[in-house]
Amino acid sequence: MRFNLPRLALRQHYRSGSGAASHACVGVLWACSLLLAEATRAAEPPPAEPPPDPAQIEFFEKQIRPLLANHCHECHGPDKQEGKLRLDSRAGALAGGEYGPAVVAGKPDESWLVKAIRYDHDDVQMPPKAKLPVEKIEALTAWIKLGAPWPETAGSVRPAVAEEMFEISAEDRAYWAFQPVGQSPLPEVRDAAWAQSPVDRFVLARLEAHDLPPAPPAERRTLLRRIHFDLVGLPPTPDEMEAFLADDSPDATARAVDRLLASPHYGERWGRHWLDVARYGEDQAHTFEARKYPDGFRYRDWVIGALNRDLPYDQFVQQQIAGDLLDGPDRAERLAAVGFLSLGPVYYGRAVADEIDDRIDTVTRGVLGLTVACARCHDHKFDPVGTADYYALAGVFASTQYKEYVLTEAGEVDDSIDYLPTDKRKGKDKDKEQPVRPVIHSLQESDKPADMRIHLRGNADNLGDEVPRRFLAILSSEPPPPFTQGSGRLELSQALIDPENPLTARVLVNRVWAQHFGVGIVPTPSNFGALGQPPSHPELLDWLASRFMAQGWSLKTLHRRLMLTAVYQQSSGQHRANAAKDPDNRWLWRMHRRRLEVEPWRDAMLAAAGNLAPQIGGPSEDLSAPANRRRTLYGEVSRHNLHPVLRLFDFPDPNLTSDRRAATIVPLQQLYVLNSEFLALQADGLAERALAASADDEARIRHAYELAFGRWPNEREVQLGREFLATANNDTSDEDQQAVWQQYAHALLGSNEFAFID
Amino acid sequence: MSIHSAFRTPHSPLAPTRRQFVAGLGCGFGMLGLASALAGEGLVGEGLGATSSLADAGNPLANRLGHFPARAKRVIFLFMNGGPSHVDTFDPKPALTERHGQDGPSGKTRKGGKLMKSPFAFHRCGESGIEVSELFPEVGRRIDDLCVIRSMHGDSSAHERALLLMNSGNMQPIRPSWGSWLTYGLGTENQDLPGYVVLCPGKPVVGPQLWGNSFLPAVYQGTHINNESVDPKRVIRYLENGRLGRGDQRRQLDLVQQLNALHLAERGPDSELEARIQSLEIAYRMQEEALDVFDLSREPPSVRDRYGKGEFADACLLARRLAERGVRVTQVYYGNNQPWDDHKDITKHRDHAEKSDRPIAALLDDLKSRGLLDDTLVVWGGEFGRTPTSEGEKGRDHHSRGFTMWLAGGGIKRGLAYGSTDELGIDAVENRVHVHDLHATILHLLGLDHERLTFRYSGRDFRLTDVHGTLVQQILA
Repeated sequence: MRFNLPRLALRQHYRSGSGAASHACVGVLWACSLLLAEATRAAEPPPAEPPPDPAQIEFFEKQIRPLLANHCHECHGPDKQEGKLRLDSRAGALAGGEYGPAVVAGKPDESWLVKAIRYDHDDVQMPPKAKLPVEKIEALTAWIKLGAPWPETAGSVRPAVAEEMFEISAEDRAYWAFQPVGQSPLPEVRDAAWAQSPVDRFVLARLEAHDLPPAPPAERRTLLRRIHFDLVGLPPTPDEMEAFLADDSPDATARAVDRLLASPHYGERWGRHWLDVARYGEDQAHTFEARKYPDGFRYRDWVIGALNRDLPYDQFVQQQIAGDLLDGPDRAERLAAVGFLSLGPVYYGRAVADEIDDRIDTVTRGVLGLTVACARCHDHKFDPVGTADYYALAGVFASTQYKEYVLTEAGEVDDSIDYLPTDKRKGKDKDKEQPVRPVIHSLQESDKPADMRIHLRGNADNLGDEVPRRFLAILSSEPPPPFTQGSGRLELSQALIDPENPLTARVLVNRVWAQHFGVGIVPTPSNFGALGQPPSHPELLDWLASRFMAQGWSLKTLHRRLMLTAVYQQSSGQHRANAAKDPDNRWLWRMHRRRLEVEPWRDAMLAAAGNLAPQIGGPSEDLSAPANRRRTLYGEVSRHNLHPVLRLFDFPDPNLTSDRRAATIVPLQQLYVLNSEFLALQADGLAERALAASADDEARIRHAYELAFGRWPNEREVQLGREFLATANNDTSDEDQQAVWQQYAHALLGSNEFAFID
Repeated sequence: MSIHSAFRTPHSPLAPTRRQFVAGLGCGFGMLGLASALAGEGLVGEGLGATSSLADAGNPLANRLGHFPARAKRVIFLFMNGGPSHVDTFDPKPALTERHGQDGPSGKTRKGGKLMKSPFAFHRCGESGIEVSELFPEVGRRIDDLCVIRSMHGDSSAHERALLLMNSGNMQPIRPSWGSWLTYGLGTENQDLPGYVVLCPGKPVVGPQLWGNSFLPAVYQGTHINNESVDPKRVIRYLENGRLGRGDQRRQLDLVQQLNALHLAERGPDSELEARIQSLEIAYRMQEEALDVFDLSREPPSVRDRYGKGEFADACLLARRLAERGVRVTQVYYGNNQPWDDHKDITKHRDHAEKSDRPIAALLDDLKSRGLLDDTLVVWGGEFGRTPTSEGEKGRDHHSRGFTMWLAGGGIKRGLAYGSTDELGIDAVENRVHVHDLHATILHLLGLDHERLTFRYSGRDFRLTDVHGTLVQQILA
C-alpha cells in the first residue's frame, strides 16, 4: 500500500468541498482526515483519479462511514477481523471475508453485508446484538447500489504492524520540507532602493506581487524600543535612548543590535523562548511521590549561558540530547544541557511509555518540526512517519536512564561523594543523615540498551515487530542504518544536526523569525508537516537556513541578518488599502504590533520602577514574594501548580512543548493590573523616580514617560497628567504627593502602551 | 493557489468573527492578524454559531451558540472526590448481603478481599421506585428528578489517573479539562464573572491540572475559588484594591482609558488594543459583581438553613448563585484532598453523606423553583466507585470497573435508573457508560458535538473524547 495515497486523496476530498465530521487523532484511522483547513487546501492538487461526486461523498461521510464505524468496526476493523473481514476500507469491503465479498458495488442483493444486516441468512446476522433500524439498512443498501463510493482518504487503513509494510514514496520525498535546503537566488524587485538586505528582496518580491506597498520606517524611538524588547526583553533606559537618537551614523542601528547581542540579558530573553519549546518545569503535575527538580535551574542557566556565548545551534542541540556522552572539558555544563530530556515529565505510577512519548514529542517537534508522536498508535496519517520510526526512537529513550550527578563546591562533577538524592530531600534542617549537595539532573545510558517492539495501536500489551533503534527513515539513507553505540542517543544527536537534515536549520531559523516578526514564515513553528501551515516565503526560508548553516549555526549572526533589514524596521502603522487586501499582514507590509509576554511585561515594570535585580541565574524563586525583584524567568515553574500570574498571562503549560504563546485578553488579567500589589509597588518606584527628577510636574511627567514608554508625552498627555495630579489632591504634603503620583504611575504601567510593542 | 484563502481560519473562538468585525467597521480593516495567527492551529469544528455583537468580536469568552440547540446552558458538577461507594449509595446489591464474607471474584478488585454487604439500608424512593441508600434521604426524596447511571466505568482505579480521566478524558496531565473544552466551545453568558469556576476548599489530589487548559488558550482554564471560608473579598485573586477606594480607582481608570484612547487613535483600528480597553472596564465591574455573587450573607437565613452549614453547603449555594448569573461551568469539589476515600471504614461515608445530602437537595430545589433546572445540568459522582469486597475489616478500595453517577436537569430523563452492574456490583454490564460517553453526553446536552468540538494543536485535531465516546441517547429527555 502506498503511503502517499491517502494524503493525496485527502486533498482531493477537501477540494471537493465536502466537510464532514471532524475528528481527533489517535486510533481511528480515517478520522484525522476530515476538517483540514488551510494546509491541505493550499497544497497543489495532484493529478489523480477523478474524485467521487461530492454529493455521494457527503452521503458516505454523513451516513455510511459513521454507521460502519459504530456498528461494524469493533469486530471488523483494525483491532479484530472476525471472519477475516475488515470494513474500514473500500478494498476490505470489496475483498470480503470468509463468506465472500461483503460489498459488490452496485449490487446490494449480492452483497453479504446487505444479507447480514437484513438478517436474511440464518447464520450471518449482523450486528449480532440487534438488527439495525430500517433506515440504516436502507442507507447501506442505497450506498452499495450507488457503487459504494468511498473517497480514498486516509480511510484506507495501513496496518500498524511491520516495517516492511511502511513505504515512503517519491511523492513523500517530494514534500517541500524534506527537500534539501536550497540556495535560493535573490528575486528581482522593482523598488531595489527599499531593500537594505537580501531578506528584504525576498519579502519585497512578494509585496510587489501582491501590490502591497511596504510601510515607512518606524520612528527611531519606536525602533530602539522594539529592538530592546526583542533582544533582551527590557526597555531602553533614557540614557540608551538618548545616545541612540544622538547617533546619526548609518550603522547606529547595527551598533545598537550588537550592543544588545553582547548583553548578558540576551540569553535571558532568548533562553526563555527555548524553554517554552523544552517545556521546562521543576516538578511534576502530580504530587504523590513525584520526582522534583530542585536543581533544575542549572539547565535553565545552561541555556542562558549557551545563547550568550553564541554556542553554535548544532552543538546547542547535540549537547541537550547527548551532552553526557560527549567528551571534552566542562563536563558539568554538558550534563546540565541534557536537562532538555532529563527534566521531562515523570507521570504518576511511572508510566514509562508515556514518558518516552513526551521525550519523542519534545525532541521531534522541538528540533525537527515533525509530529512524530502521532505515530505512536498508527503510522502518521499525513506525514511519512511510521510506527516503526516511533518505536525506533522509543528504543533510544528506553535505553536511557535518569541520573543525578553530584557537584563539588568547586562545581566539578564527582561521582564518589556521598549525597542525599533529591527525592529524599525533606527541607531545611530535616536532612541530616546524608549531606544535601548540589546536583545536576541528567541522564546516563542504561546497562542493557535494547530495541523495542512496536506497540500495536499504542497498546503495550499488544506487541508487534521489534524495530532497531535508528533515526527517522524519511530523513535517513535507504535503508536507515541502525544505531550501534549504546542507546543510540549520541547517533540520534548527530542525525538531528547533520547538515543534510533538511529540517533542523529551517525549523530554528523559522522560530527566530517568528519571535522577531510575530508570525513564522511557517506559521506553525513546531509542525512543518502536511498539517502545519505552508511557508509564506519558502525561498527566503531556505536562503536563511542555508546561510545559517554556512555561517556556523550562529544565532547572533541570524539575529543581525533579520533585524538589519527594511522589513524589520518598518512602522507598525495602518494602511487602509493594504489592510483590506491582506488583513493578516501575511506579506509583512508592516510590522506586527505585539502584546508583550508576561516576562518582559513584568520585567519592564521592574525596570521602569528602578527595581530590577540584575543578577543572572541561580535557583528559582517565588514570584509572589514582595522582595522578588528578579526577572520573571527566574520564577519557579511548576507543572503541578503554575504560578497564577504566569497562568493568567498565557505562559504555556510546562507539561507540553510549546511553539507559540497565545495572547489572550481577559478581565481577570486586568484585575491584576488594577489591584495587584506588584503593580502598586512598581508604581511606587516609578513615582519616586519621577518625583526625584524635578520639582516641576511637567518635567516629572516627561521623565515618567521616558521611563515607561521611552518617549516624551505630547501636550494632551501632559495636560491629562496635570489634571489628574491636581484634582486628585490639593493638599501638597509629601505623603499625599507621593500617593497621587503613585496612582498616576500605576495608570501608566496599566496602559495599553506599556503592554504592546509597535 | 490563493494563500489568502489558505490563511483564513474557520470559526475559531479566538477570532470568531473577523469578517463580522471587518464588516462592522465598514472600512475593510480588521487587525486581528496576530491574534488569528497565534490561533492558527486552534479551530472549532464547523457549524459553531458566531458571537452576537460587534462588541464581542475577538472576545474569546463571548457567549456562543453550539453546533445545535442546547438542552442545558450551564453545568454544575458536584464532584465527590475520593470515590463514593456505589454499592452503599445508589446501587443496591442484595447478593452482597447473601454472600457476605465469601471470597470475591479473583482478579476483579485491586486487592482481593471478601464480599462485604453494605451497612446501609436501601429504600425505594419516589414514584420511580429507584432504590437509594439511607445515606441520602433528601436526595432520595428528589429521585424522580434524577437519572441514576449505575453502569459507569473507567480505565483506572488509581486516584490520579481516574481523576484525570474524569476531568480531562486522558490519564496523563496533558489535555484540557472538560470545563475548558466547554468554555472554549461556548464562551460564557456573564462577562463580568469567570466562565468556569471551580470551588474546592483547598486542593484535590492532582490539583490544578484537573481544571487546566493544557494546550487551549489560558482564558479557558478554570478559576479556582478556595471556599474554605467564603470571604467575598478574597475568593478571586486581585479582586480588591488595597490602596484605593472605588471613586479614586474609577478616576484612575478614567485616566488609563483616556491614555489608551489617545494611543489607539494614533494606531487603530486594532482589535487587540480595543479588546484590552474593554477588558479593563469589565474587570472594573467584576469587582462589584464578584463581591455580590460570593457574598452569602445576602441570602436570607431561611435559605442558608436549608443548605445547612459547612464548606460543601456553602459551595452548593454559591453554585446556585453562579448559575443564576450565567456562569457556564461550575465544579464543586466535595472537599479538600480525597475525602470519600474510605479505605478503612466504609461507615465513614455517613459523615460525607450528612454533609452533602441536604445541600444537594437544597440546590436541586432552588434550581427547580427558579426554573433553572430546565436548562442547568447537574452531575454528581466521583472519579470511581469502591470495591464490593472489603479492604481490611470494613473498608472498601478503589474501583473503576463499575460505579454510579447521577445527572439531573436540562435535557435529562427524570426518574430513570440506567444501566446496571452485575449482581455483585463488580462490573458494569448492562448499558455500559464509559467516562468518555459521559463526556460526549454532557457536551451534547450543552449543544456541542463531541466529534466536532476540536482544537488543532501539534498537527492534530484534538477533542475531549479523543477517538472515543458515544452519546448516551437513552438518558436524554
